[in-house]
Amino acid sequence: MFINYEHENHVYNVTVERREKYFFITYDNTEYRVEAEEIKPGHLKIKLGDRILKSVITEGEKEKYVFVEGDVFYVKNVELTGTKKTKKEGEGSLNSPISGKVVKVEVKVGDKVSKGDVLMVIEAMKMEYLIRAPDNGKITKINFNENDQIEIGQTTVEMKKS
Amino acid sequence: MMLTKVLVANRGEIAVRIIRACQEMGINTVAVYSEVDKEAPHVQIADETINLGDPTPIASYLNIPKIIESAQKIGADAIHPGYGFLAENPDFAQSCEDVGIKFIGPNPKVISLMGDKIAAKKTMKNAGVPVIPGYSGEKQDISSLVKEGKKIGFPLLVKAAAGGGGKGMRIAHSEDILEESIESAKRESKSAFGNDTVFLEKYLEKPRHIEFQILGDEYGNVIHLFERECSIQRRHQKIIEESPSPVMDVKLRKKMGEAAIKAAEAVGYTNAGTVEFMVDGDLNFYFMEMNTRLQVEHPVTELTTGIDLAKWQLKIADGKELSIKQNQIMQRGHAIECRIYAEDPANGFLPSVGTLQKVEPPRGPNIRDDSGIYTGMKITPYYDPMLSKLIVNAENRDECINKIIWALSRYVILGVKTNISFLIKVLDHMEFRKGNITTHFIDNYFKDWISSKKGLPIEAIIALSVYDSIHSRTEEVVRYKESDPHSPWKHVGRWRMGVEI
Repeated sequence: MFINYEHENHVYNVTVERREKYFFITYDNTEYRVEAEEIKPGHLKIKLGDRILKSVITEGEKEKYVFVEGDVFYVKNVELTGTKKTKKEGEGSLNSPISGKVVKVEVKVGDKVSKGDVLMVIEAMKMEYLIRAPDNGKITKINFNENDQIEIGQTTVEMKKS
Repeated sequence: MMLTKVLVANRGEIAVRIIRACQEMGINTVAVYSEVDKEAPHVQIADETINLGDPTPIASYLNIPKIIESAQKIGADAIHPGYGFLAENPDFAQSCEDVGIKFIGPNPKVISLMGDKIAAKKTMKNAGVPVIPGYSGEKQDISSLVKEGKKIGFPLLVKAAAGGGGKGMRIAHSEDILEESIESAKRESKSAFGNDTVFLEKYLEKPRHIEFQILGDEYGNVIHLFERECSIQRRHQKIIEESPSPVMDVKLRKKMGEAAIKAAEAVGYTNAGTVEFMVDGDLNFYFMEMNTRLQVEHPVTELTTGIDLAKWQLKIADGKELSIKQNQIMQRGHAIECRIYAEDPANGFLPSVGTLQKVEPPRGPNIRDDSGIYTGMKITPYYDPMLSKLIVNAENRDECINKIIWALSRYVILGVKTNISFLIKVLDHMEFRKGNITTHFIDNYFKDWISSKKGLPIEAIIALSVYDSIHSRTEEVVRYKESDPHSPWKHVGRWRMGVEI
């Protein structure tokens, strides 16, 4: 399966395949073969080469909390372009979900758009994020041009619902 | 008298600590709680409970009439105030006394005297306990102040009487800049507080905060239970405490212990208390203040002396005589306490609120976790953000540091941010390990500290992928689509060719 983890504005693109207690994890062009089991709910014991990793993971409302070797990380699973899975939180927002570069602006001021139309494409960590129109309406302002840097939470375009 | 029912006018770990001590002694317990604490651990373990309503402290845990009335109604014969809230409020102690309820602590007069920092120092000075040389007199003209300053010596601290937050504060390192320092402190104080009265005090180089635990009964017996080193503080809040102090030797300990007892006797102190001293780089020590309560950091004393302070508080309040003599008290091994706060070190240590998704304290020999939290508990902004105190003891300081780092790195608290990673960094600092600590330690070495961990380490990525893979509800994505219905790959399930890269 393909998974994208977001942590502090970065997206980590991982694939994992499982065969019983063995897991094959590919991240950043490296494959890790580990033996792992969930010893009790949320508690993982992972054998990575000669090392034994112990980790505790719980799920909050929006994010996962990962405790590993004394440190805690807050991580979100995010959906990226090309996946058509369940609706994710934040969908329909005109705010950028990620910090990255604007690679394409698909509309101009005054354009009429329908719900679901792609308005802008943002690239981060070699992944593309699509900003789609949350409703039918008219574009009133475009805040970023192609090749601009955009930060998480910034408003991409503004539109008036019709 | 015999204590039969004690109301604990507090919350969190200290209420739990006191209720447990009562239970061990067969005393019934009453917990009080505010609306947001109705499922808190201290409420769960107490025999009886009283709802104080509104979570704002002033309406609940600081509400003297309500607490007194509750205690009377439920038939409590004593009230334990814990620390914080009403613990050092002489009016509260007096109100208890007025209605015939035993206040577990010293009498209201002592609380009141020790609460007035200037009067406390005067009392101690008269009793022959060393205090920091200083001037806090009426004469406020520049030439009188310069004269007094020269008498005290240098370096000299000039501070605004109405001061706070470093405003109106100057350090004069020599006589040449004394006049100028006094004038500018006065100017700043005038504009910040509308009052230009200043105090002068000897400025201590390499100051340490070292305190002595005291127990006094109602028959005039006073003992001390050695020192606690509490120099590691962040914005005047202690975060790591230990006993013994790495700077202490037999001679100094004896001298300071005697001074602490003298301080307690000077005011007729009863019950548990703490005498705080500042110790300078040359090991001169000066009385700072006396805390008329059980301290947050009392466990390090319990672990190095084997004496249960909470139980002794109850016994003394019950009119028992101190059965331990000074020469019977031994200090054994080393103990360290870390205060775990719900605060975000990566975000200026701002308090972090939220729901605790998982709480799992470390376990093992000589590891003590005094906590008032549980999985599912909501951390609200109403009260102090301390979640728990982790205390460990070991044969010596080195082993103790290693042990507490081990334990902290296995303390699972998920759902709010905590200062655990920061505590580990401080404990692991070379100068901390050497025992070279002062009250400036955090400012000196961790002033602009932010977590050095950047990004998600591969260990976390692996753990997450394993977790998601185990918990995935959808079928495994078929990586290589096969058009041939008879292909062997169709029938091997999740098996694949392992390619080592």
